[in-house]
Amino acid sequence: MLQKETKPKHYQKVIRADRWARRLITFGGYGIIVSIAAILLFLAYQSLPLAKNAAIETLFTFPASRGPAKALVVGIDPYQEIFYILDESGYIQFYKVAGTEPVSQAQLPLSGNEKILCAAKGSLASDLFAAGTDSGRIITAEVRFQLDYSGEGRVVIPSLSVKEVWQIPAGGDTLPNHVEKLAFSRNEDGSRFYAWVDHQGALWVRSYDADEEVDYLHPLSQYPGESSVTALTISNHGENLVVAAADGVMRWFGLKDFEKVALRDEWSISNSPVTALSYLLGDQAVAIGTGAGAVEVWFPVRTPSNLMKFRQIHSFRSHSAAVAHIYHSARNRDFLTIDGEGAAQLHYSTTGKTEVQFPRPDFPIAAGAFAPKSDGLLFVDAQKRFTLFRLDNPHPESTVKSLFGKVWYEGYPGPEFVWQSTGGSDEFESKLSLIPLIFGTLKGTLYALLFSIPIALLAAIYVSQFAPFRLSRIVKPTVEIMAALPSVVIGFLAGLYFSTLFEEYLMSTFVLLIFLPLFFLAGVAAWRAVPESYRMKIRPGFEVLFIIPVILIALQASLSLGHPVENFLFGGNFQQWLYTTWGVTYETRNSFVVGFALGFAVIPIIFTVSEDALSNVPKSLTSASLALGASRWQTVRRVVIPAASGGIFAAIMLGLGRAVGETMIVLMATGNTPIIDLNPFNGFRAMSACIAVEIPEAPVGGTLYRVLFLTALLLFIFTFVLNTLSSLIGERLRKKYARF
Amino acid sequence: MEMLQKDMEMMADTAHPEIPAEFFALAGEKIVIETTDLDFYYSAESHALKKVNIRIPYRKVTAFIGPSGCGKSTLLRCFNRMNDLIPGSFLKGKVLIEGEDIYKNGIRLEELRKKVGMVFQKSNPFPMSVWENVAFGPRVNGITNKSELEEMVESSLKQADLWKEIKDRLQASALDLSGGQQQRLCIARTLANKPDIILMDEPASALDPISTGKIEETINELKEEYTIVIVTHNMQQAGRISDYTAFMMLGEMVEFDTTKKIFTNPKEKMTEDYITGRFG
Repeated sequence: MLQKETKPKHYQKVIRADRWARRLITFGGYGIIVSIAAILLFLAYQSLPLAKNAAIETLFTFPASRGPAKALVVGIDPYQEIFYILDESGYIQFYKVAGTEPVSQAQLPLSGNEKILCAAKGSLASDLFAAGTDSGRIITAEVRFQLDYSGEGRVVIPSLSVKEVWQIPAGGDTLPNHVEKLAFSRNEDGSRFYAWVDHQGALWVRSYDADEEVDYLHPLSQYPGESSVTALTISNHGENLVVAAADGVMRWFGLKDFEKVALRDEWSISNSPVTALSYLLGDQAVAIGTGAGAVEVWFPVRTPSNLMKFRQIHSFRSHSAAVAHIYHSARNRDFLTIDGEGAAQLHYSTTGKTEVQFPRPDFPIAAGAFAPKSDGLLFVDAQKRFTLFRLDNPHPESTVKSLFGKVWYEGYPGPEFVWQSTGGSDEFESKLSLIPLIFGTLKGTLYALLFSIPIALLAAIYVSQFAPFRLSRIVKPTVEIMAALPSVVIGFLAGLYFSTLFEEYLMSTFVLLIFLPLFFLAGVAAWRAVPESYRMKIRPGFEVLFIIPVILIALQASLSLGHPVENFLFGGNFQQWLYTTWGVTYETRNSFVVGFALGFAVIPIIFTVSEDALSNVPKSLTSASLALGASRWQTVRRVVIPAASGGIFAAIMLGLGRAVGETMIVLMATGNTPIIDLNPFNGFRAMSACIAVEIPEAPVGGTLYRVLFLTALLLFIFTFVLNTLSSLIGERLRKKYARF
Repeated sequence: MEMLQKDMEMMADTAHPEIPAEFFALAGEKIVIETTDLDFYYSAESHALKKVNIRIPYRKVTAFIGPSGCGKSTLLRCFNRMNDLIPGSFLKGKVLIEGEDIYKNGIRLEELRKKVGMVFQKSNPFPMSVWENVAFGPRVNGITNKSELEEMVESSLKQADLWKEIKDRLQASALDLSGGQQQRLCIARTLANKPDIILMDEPASALDPISTGKIEETINELKEEYTIVIVTHNMQQAGRISDYTAFMMLGEMVEFDTTKKIFTNPKEKMTEDYITGRFG
C-alpha cells in the first residue's frame, strides 16, 4: 500500500502491461483454435458437395400449339434458349424458351404422304440426326444454332440443313420399303454409320467412309433369323453396334472395318425382350431397358481366354412398364430411361445409382433429350407438351461407394479401387477411389517407420543413457539440424541419386542387412574376449569407437560380395529373378527408397522427442536402479524406458504424423503410381503427393477439385486424430509411469 | 595416472591393515570398510575429499556428521562407487570392503552394489507396484523363481516394518504410498538384495518426525544383521541411533570415535563447536 502510494505511476504501467499481455496471449490462443477449426470447416465445406444428390427443378412446362403429330426427336441449344421438335410429318419447329409459339419452322424434304417412322441422333457434339421414312428413305440432317451478337445481347438463330437423302436397297418384294428402326452415328472424321431394320425385319448396316467418300452396305438379315429386332444402338464413334432381338438374344458387331461387319459377341437376356438400347458415353457400356421395365448396364469384359464378352455390371431401379426410350448424356455416364407410361428416371452408370425419379406427367412421354451441357432435360409428351428441367448434378461420379469402395469401371476385369483422375479424351471417366491414396500414405508411413523407429529410438537411448557427455553434446544438435533439412532436398537426392545408387547396389544392401548385425555380434563377442583389465581402461561410452571399424569392414564385405551373391542366388540379375519368380516388377523409385528418405525426415523428430523424454527420467530413479546392482542396460530397459514410455510414444506418433503429412519426399522419391500393393519394390501414391500432383489438373468446382479437398480433409483428420491420440495415450502413460 | 595407481597398489601390498592410533576406539571390532588416503575430485579444481582414512565396523551403525558440503555424502558414495556416474570425477587412494579394493580393475559394479546397498535422501521408488519395487533387485540379479521372489518381498517388507501396513496393497503403485512409507519401501527394496552393508544418505531428512521415528526404529532393528553407514544432518538422530560417529569438515575427517565420546567429550575443538551448535 505504501509503495503504491509512492510509485503509483509505475504500478499502473505494470498492471496495464500485464493486462495487455494477457489479452494478447488469450487472443493468440483462441486464434489458433479458431483458425484450425476454420480450416477444418472450410475443407469440409469444399468437399461436401460431393455427397450432394442430383436435384431437378421444373423450369417451365407448356403445351405446344401445333398439331397432334407425334414427336420423334427433340433438342435444345447449349444456352437453353431455343429448343426444337421433329415430328413424324417431317416438320421441325423451333420454340423459344418462355414462348408458346414456334419462332420458326422448317421441313425435311418428304414427298406426298411420306411419314417418318423413326429417327435417331448421331453425334455428341451437334444436333445431327437421321430419320427413316415409310418409303424407305433415310434423311440425314442437322439442326444448327448460330449465335448472333449484332443486336442487343445474344440471339440464338436456329436453322436446319439437310445433309443427305438416301434410299435404302429394295426389299425384294413389291411392298413399299420401310425403315422400321434406325440407329445412327457420325464419328469425328465425318464418317457415318447407319443400322436399320426394313419392313421385312431384315437388319442392314451402312458405313459411309468420309475420306474415300465410299458407301459400304452390309446386309445382316441372317442375324435376327426367325426373331425380330427389338432395339439397336451404334456407339458414339461408330465402331460398335449392339442389336437386341425379340428372342432375348443380343449381338455385338464391330464396325471398325468399313468393308466388313464382324460379330464380336452373342449372348442372351432370358427374362424379357429388350425394348430400348443405348450406348453410353465412352462407347463401352450399353444401357438396356426391357419390356418388364428392368434397367441394366452391360459392357464387355476381357475373359481369361482374352476375348471380350458382354457382362451385366449394374442394375438400376426398375420401371413399372416397358422401357421405351434411353437417352445418354454427352458429358458423363448419366442416362435417362423413359417407360411407356411416362415415368422417367435418371441413372448414373458407373455408380449403379438411380439418381432422379421425375414427376410423372399426365401423358406418356414421346421423346426426351439432354441439354448439350447436361445441365437440363427436355421432355415432350404425347400431347406435344414440353417440360424443361434444370438438372443440378455436378458430381454424379462421386458417391461414398465410388470414393471408398470398389467400382467396376468400363474396360476393367472386375470391381477395383482405382485412382485415375485424368485421361486422354473428354469421354474419359475419372476414377477417384481414395483407397489407393490412403493405402499409399500408409505404405510410405509403414516403410518410413520401419526404418526410422529402431534407428531413432536406439540412437536416443544411446545418446541419453550411454554416450559420454562430450559425444552427446555433438550428436544431439546434429540430429536436430537434420530436421531442418528441407524435405525437397531429401526428396531430390533420394529420387535422383539415391534410388539409382540403391538399384546398383541392391544386393550389397541386402547382404549388408545380414552382415551388419552378424559383424556387430562378432565384434561384441571379440570385445568380450578382450581381457577385462584392458577393457576397463576405456571410458564408459567410448566403446562405440571400436564398432566403427567393424561396421566399415561389414560395409566393404557386402560391397564386394553383392555381385557374387546375386550371381549365385539369383542367376546374375535380381530384378529379372524377382519378375520371373514372383511376378514382381522392380521400380527404381520404390518403397525402400521412400522409406529411407522419409525416415530421414522422421528420425530427427522421433530422436529429439524421445531423447528428451529419456533424459528427463530423474537421475534418482537410475541411481536407485544402479544402486540395486542393476547393470546400465537393465536400468535402461526396466526403469528408464518404462518411465519415458509416454514421451517415446508421443515421439513415435509425432513421427507418424510427419510421415503421413510429408509431401515432397513421397512426391519425388516414388513413381506416384496409385496402386495397392504392399510389395516394397513398387512405388505408391500418397494423399499429400496426390494433392500436389493433381492441383493443375483440377478445375475449380470440378469433381477432382472437391475430391482433392476431401483428400486434404482426410489428411487433416488423420494427423489430427494421430496427434490427439498421442497426447491422450502419452498423458496416460505419463500418469502411470512418470509421476516423479 | 597409471604411475600413481601402480605406486598405490604397491603401497597397499606392503601396508598391512593395522588399526591406526585414531581408531583405537575400534579395538575389538571387525572392520568392514577401510579407506586409505582417499582423495576425491569432482573435477580437477574441486577437491571434495582430502586424504580420508576411516574404518567402519561390522554390524554397527556408523554416522557421518558435519556441515553441508563437508563431503560426507561423497564419502558414502565412494563405498558403492555411485560417484563413478559423475562425469569428470576421479579418485585417488583406496577403498577396501571386506579387504578387497573395490576400485581395482575387474570389480563387477553390479556385484559390489548388490553387496553394498544404498538408501537415498529422497525416497525414489520406481513407478511400478510395491511388489515390483521390492522384487526389482533380486530380479535384476537373476532370480526369476516366483515363490522365491514372493518370499524375499515379504521378508524384506517385514524387516522394513512395512508389511503390516501394505500387505494388502502389494499391487498398488508405489507412488501412492505416503512419504515415510515410500522411504521404508526403499529400505525394503535395498534389503531384498540381501546386502552386507547399507549406506543411508540422510534417509529421514525429508520426512516428518513420526516417519523419522519409524525409520530410526527400523535402523535399530537392522543393525543386528547389517553394517549400516548413515549420513545425517540431525545431531540428535546420530546420537540416538549410531554406535560410532565420524565428524567431517571441508572434505577432511576431523574426528572419529564412539558416538558417546563424540557427543560428550570430543577431542577436537571443532567437533565440540559443531556439536554444541556454534556453527553448522
